[in-house]
Amino acid sequence: MNYTKKEIKKGIKLHILNTDKFKTNLVAVFLTTKLERETVTANALISAVLRRGSNTLKTQEEISKQLEELYGASFDCGIDKTGDNQVLKFYIETVNDSFLPQTNENILKKAIENILDIILNPLIEDNGFKKEYVEQEKNNMKQRIQGRVDNKRRYALDRCIEEMYQGKPFGLYRFGYVEDLKDINKKNLYERYKQLIEQCKIDIFVSGNVNEELVNIITENQNITNLQEREPIYNQESEKNTVKQGEKIETMDVMQGKLVVGLDVNSQSEDEKYNVMIYNTILGGSANSKIFQNVREKANLAYEASSRYFKYKDNIFINCGIEISNYEKALNLIKEQLEDMKNGDFTEEEVENAKKAIISSIKTIDDEQDTSITYYFGQEMSGNQKSVDEYIERIGKVTKDDVEQVAHKVEINTIYFLRN
Amino acid sequence: MQVIENSKVKETLYLEKLENGLTVMVIPKKGMKKKYMIWGTNYGSNENVFIVPGENTKTEVPNGVAHFLEHKLFEQENGTNSLDTLTALGVDANAFTTNDMTAYLFGCTDNFYPAMDELMNYVQNPYFTDENVEKEKGIIGQEIMMYDDSPDWKVYLNAMQILYHNHPVKIDVVGTIDSISKIDKEILYKCYHTFYNLSNMAIVVCGDFEPEKMLEEIKKRLKENKVEGNIQTFYPEEPDTIVKEKIEQKMEVSRPMYTIGIKVKPTDNPEEMVRRDIAIQILLELLVGKSSRLYKELYNEGIVFGGIGANYEFSENYAHVLISGQSNEPEKVYSRVKEEINRQKQEGISETDFQRIKKKLYGEYVKDYDDVESIANMFLANYFMGINSFDYLSQIDTIDVEYLTQVLNDVFKEEKMVISIVKN
Repeated sequence: MNYTKKEIKKGIKLHILNTDKFKTNLVAVFLTTKLERETVTANALISAVLRRGSNTLKTQEEISKQLEELYGASFDCGIDKTGDNQVLKFYIETVNDSFLPQTNENILKKAIENILDIILNPLIEDNGFKKEYVEQEKNNMKQRIQGRVDNKRRYALDRCIEEMYQGKPFGLYRFGYVEDLKDINKKNLYERYKQLIEQCKIDIFVSGNVNEELVNIITENQNITNLQEREPIYNQESEKNTVKQGEKIETMDVMQGKLVVGLDVNSQSEDEKYNVMIYNTILGGSANSKIFQNVREKANLAYEASSRYFKYKDNIFINCGIEISNYEKALNLIKEQLEDMKNGDFTEEEVENAKKAIISSIKTIDDEQDTSITYYFGQEMSGNQKSVDEYIERIGKVTKDDVEQVAHKVEINTIYFLRN
Repeated sequence: MQVIENSKVKETLYLEKLENGLTVMVIPKKGMKKKYMIWGTNYGSNENVFIVPGENTKTEVPNGVAHFLEHKLFEQENGTNSLDTLTALGVDANAFTTNDMTAYLFGCTDNFYPAMDELMNYVQNPYFTDENVEKEKGIIGQEIMMYDDSPDWKVYLNAMQILYHNHPVKIDVVGTIDSISKIDKEILYKCYHTFYNLSNMAIVVCGDFEPEKMLEEIKKRLKENKVEGNIQTFYPEEPDTIVKEKIEQKMEVSRPMYTIGIKVKPTDNPEEMVRRDIAIQILLELLVGKSSRLYKELYNEGIVFGGIGANYEFSENYAHVLISGQSNEPEKVYSRVKEEINRQKQEGISETDFQRIKKKLYGEYVKDYDDVESIANMFLANYFMGINSFDYLSQIDTIDVEYLTQVLNDVFKEEKMVISIVKN
C-alpha cells in the first residue's frame, strides 16, 4: 500500500491509499468542525438531510436505485467525536471493475461523483433545504437521540463521559439535543450548512486502485472546484479538561448493573501515549489483562470486563456488566488492579505480550480499507506523521518502567453505575 | 487436494477430506498480512437429543451445553487457559456457538504456527473438573443477564417463541440460568466425545499460505481419531403452523422494537437452499429494501426511521424470514408489509427492479471475498450445510422472475407470519 497526501486547496486535502489488494474501492469524505453546544445538533441534522437527496438525485429512492445500479455501491454516513471535534463522515464503497461482468462502466468514477454531489450539491428550494426533508429528519433525529437508552452498555459509557466532561465540548452528545430541534428550520439549517462547508476541514480519502486520472476526476470535479480556500476552523489540540466528579449512580429498568470507571491518564506528551497503550492492554485490554483475569476469571463477577483507551482525550474507561449487589466487590477489585499497576506488580513478559498484541493489530491496518482510512485520519488530526513501521518501532521500545510511570499518573475521575 | 476455482472472484478453494474424517479447506490470499484459522464442529445449541455412536438409547442434555462446552474447552489440565496462552502470543483468539455449530478461531500476523499448536491442542484435549464447571456458571450467568438487557435480542427470541412449537431453534443458544445449573462434567464429556469426532468437524484456513503445506501442518497436529458411525440427532416434531401471531414484552426502550417473522418449510437440498436464499434476499430488497415503494412510504409517513432489517435464516431442519426495526407503530408496519406482499403477488415482479437488485446482490457477494476472517467463516458455516460458498456466485445467474414469483408465493404466506414487539 502506498499512501500519499496532497492539498487540493488550503484546508482541503486528498489522501490516496493506493493498493491492489482488495476487490473494493472505498471513498470517504470527512468534514471536521469544532464540537460546540450551539451547532452540535444542527451539524448532525445536516448529515441526515443531505442523504435524503441532492440537486441531481432528488430523492432517497433515486439515490438508492443509483447505488444498486452500481453493483450495490454502499453509501453510509455517520457522526463521530474526534477529540473536541465533531466529524461528519460519508463513505461510499464499490466493487472493482475487474470483478464485474461488464467492465466498460467506471463504477468508482461514478461513485465519487455521487458522493460529492450528495455532500456538496444539496437539493435547495427557496433559499433553504427541502422543507419536507428537514422536518422528517428532525423527527428522526429526535428518535435517534432518545434511542440512546436502548443500548444500556453504550449508554452507561456515554453517561460517564458526560459526567467527566460536564460543560466541556467532549461532554456533548454527538447527535445533539432534542430541545434544539424545535428552532431549526429549512432556512437556518441551510445557513449553517453553508457556513460549515466554508469553514470546516475537509479530508477526502480514496482507498483502492487509484491512478492519476482518478485524482484528476476528484480535483477537477465541479463541486470541488467551487469550494473556497479556507483556514479550517477546528480544534487542533485537544484540551485536557475533565471536571472532577467522584461517584454517580443512576437507575433504569435493567437486569444487570453496568459499571464504568473513567480514568484520567495525565500524559505529558503525545509520545507518552504509546506507553499508555501498553498500560491499558495490561490493565484491561485483553483476555490476559488484570481486570479480565481478576474480575471475570477469578472472582467470576462478570462476563464482560475490559478497558479502552481514548487516545485523543487521554482517558481510559473500564467497563463491567455485574450483578447489582456485587458493585462494591467489583469496584474494589478494579481499584486493587490500579494499585497493583502502580506498584509495578506485573511482569516484563506481560509488557512483551501487550506489545505483540498491539503490533499485530498495527500490522493489519493495511488489510482493511476502513481501518487504514481511520488510521491516516488519526495521523492527520494529531499532526503526528508516523508511518506504520515507525509506529511499530515506537511500541517495541516501551519498557516496564515506562508503564509504571504511566500507572503513577493515572487517577480515577468518575465512577458511574447504572442499576435498577 | 481438490482444487475449486472461481473465475468471478478470482479465488481458489483447496479442499481435502482426510481419512480420519476431518475436512480441511484452504483459501489462499496473496498479499494479506492477516492469517486466520477456524476449527468448527457441526454441533450447536439445537443438538440436545442424540444417540451416541455405539449406544442404543437416546441421550437428552440440558439447554446451553454446546455453548458451555465452548467456554470450558479453553481450560487445560496444567492449570493454564488457552485463551490466555493465545493472547500472550499476540494473536486475536475467540470462539462462538450458534444454533447449528461451534467454532474456535484465531487471527494474527505473527506467531501463526505456535498459535495453531495451541488451538489444535486445546480443541483435542478437554479437561473438565467439578470445580471449573461450577465456576463457569457465574460467568455464563452474567452473559445471560447481559442478553436480558438487550431489547433487540429479546424481540428476536420472542419471535422465535411464537414461530416454533417445539424446535430447539426457539431456545437461547446460551441456555437459561436454570438449564445451565444442571450441567456437569459428565454431560460435557459425553457431548464432547460425541460431537467433537473429527468426522463431524472442519478446519478452514485463509491467508497467504501454500495449501498443500498447510494441509501437512494440520495433519502433523492431529491426534489419532477413530471414525465413529453417524451421530443420530433428533428434533421434536415441528408442525408447519405458527404458535400464535403476536407477542409483546415490556422493557425500557425509547420506542417499540419489532420483529416480523415468517415460518418457512425447510429444504435439505443444498442447491435449493442456495437458490432459495438468493431469491429471498432479492424479494426482501424488493419488498422492504431502501429503494422499495413500501420503505419510501413508511419513511415519508414517519412510521419507520433508519432502515428495515431483513434476513433469511435456515438450516436443513428450520427456516424463517425475519424483518425488524424500530417504529412507533409496529402494528402498522406489520399490516403494511402484508399488504405489500399481496400487492407484489398480484402485480407481479418487475423485470427492471429485479435486474437492478440482482446487480446489487452480485456486488455484495464479491465484497465478501476481501477479509480473511469473513471468507473462512462463510465457507465453514456453508460447508456444514453441504454448500460450497462459490455456489452463490454461479446460482445467482439462474434466478429469474419466474422462480422469484414461485418463491414469493411459497414462502411469503400470511398464515405463516408473526410479530414480536418490545415496548415500554
